[in-house]
Amino acid sequence: MKQSGFYAKRIYPLVFMFLVTTVCILITSGIFLATEDRVRENELLFLRTAVLSAAGASLGTDTSQIASLYLSSVTENEGFYIVRVGSGPERYVIPFKGAGLWGEISLMVGFEADLTTLSGVAIVSQNETPGLGARIEEPWFTAQFAGKKGPFRIVEEGTADASDEVDAITGATRTSESFQNIMNRAASESRSIIRGL
Amino acid sequence: MAKGIVKKTFLAPLGKDNPVFVQVLGICSTLAVTNKLENTLVMTLGVMFTTALSSWTLSLMRSWIPSRIRMMVETLVIATYVILVDIALKAFYPEMWKQLGPYVGLIITNCIVMGRIEAFALQNKPGLSLIDGLASGLGYAYVLMIIAFFRELLGTGSLWGYPILGSWWTNWSIMIMPPGGFFMLAIFIWVVREVVLKEAKK
Repeated sequence: MKQSGFYAKRIYPLVFMFLVTTVCILITSGIFLATEDRVRENELLFLRTAVLSAAGASLGTDTSQIASLYLSSVTENEGFYIVRVGSGPERYVIPFKGAGLWGEISLMVGFEADLTTLSGVAIVSQNETPGLGARIEEPWFTAQFAGKKGPFRIVEEGTADASDEVDAITGATRTSESFQNIMNRAASESRSIIRGL
Repeated sequence: MAKGIVKKTFLAPLGKDNPVFVQVLGICSTLAVTNKLENTLVMTLGVMFTTALSSWTLSLMRSWIPSRIRMMVETLVIATYVILVDIALKAFYPEMWKQLGPYVGLIITNCIVMGRIEAFALQNKPGLSLIDGLASGLGYAYVLMIIAFFRELLGTGSLWGYPILGSWWTNWSIMIMPPGGFFMLAIFIWVVREVVLKEAKK
């Protein structure tokens, strides 16, 4: 920076910024490309796990096992998945989305062959409050829908006993209500989505 | 490098020049990510990585950076390191990446990072700047971990996801929500300033 005048004031900063930007972009895009496949694999695995667990399949943590189970038992259709694990019953899994408290909640909802009884629910993505609304991801919460028929009513945490009742999450009333709305919409639309009625 | 300077540079951000309770920087993330210990640890590691390496990088470049565009260069370098953290989490720790959501990207705007570069790295040698950045990150990290400890314990009765307090404990839901962050941070700053820093002055 000893030079003065036009070069130091105008050209040098421009060239310098250009160089730094180029280096930064090369580094970040390099790392991005190096991890791209892995990231895509993670996302695919996450989606497959959600579909299978919504269909009530019991899953281990072995990723290759999940992939092979998915490929052997799931048929992908437009707007829904047909899942038959081994010689078990045929089940239908439909993706649903709806507004949560902070952002969108995206779900996989599984139905038995009668299209009204639920086989399970799995969360694909959510942005609820960690520790409160985000507890919808906890297995005890999603597991309570299995075997029940909509429409659902949310009741105080720990008091659900009737067949249409599910426990809300204490301290996350709004999230619980949003979840109930999405589930009720799922229950009422399942037939028309799968049968095309 | 004299040993005394290294020690002073390392210890100042942990105590009397702490970025959180003395300089009151980086408060946004202090409030946002301190309701679970696990999230807090990952977030603070990201901040430590970013402050240390961006201080080091910019200190290396300091004699070539034209002062008129130095903030642009700083932001660019910080952003590069933050993107690295974001991509690494996304690829190798996707569950955590989902939970932290936008907060990892927001490390770019954490005042501690740019503050240390402006105040320290541009005037000092790379090695010392690395230590300063690391220590500032550490000073931020331990304060957040203490706050997160109390928020998770009081708010959910558990620590690191494991139940500690048992079923008799009624969870203080407010501790997990943003107001709980304000309360804990204010109490923490008050206790540290009134008790620890006053004692040290005498």
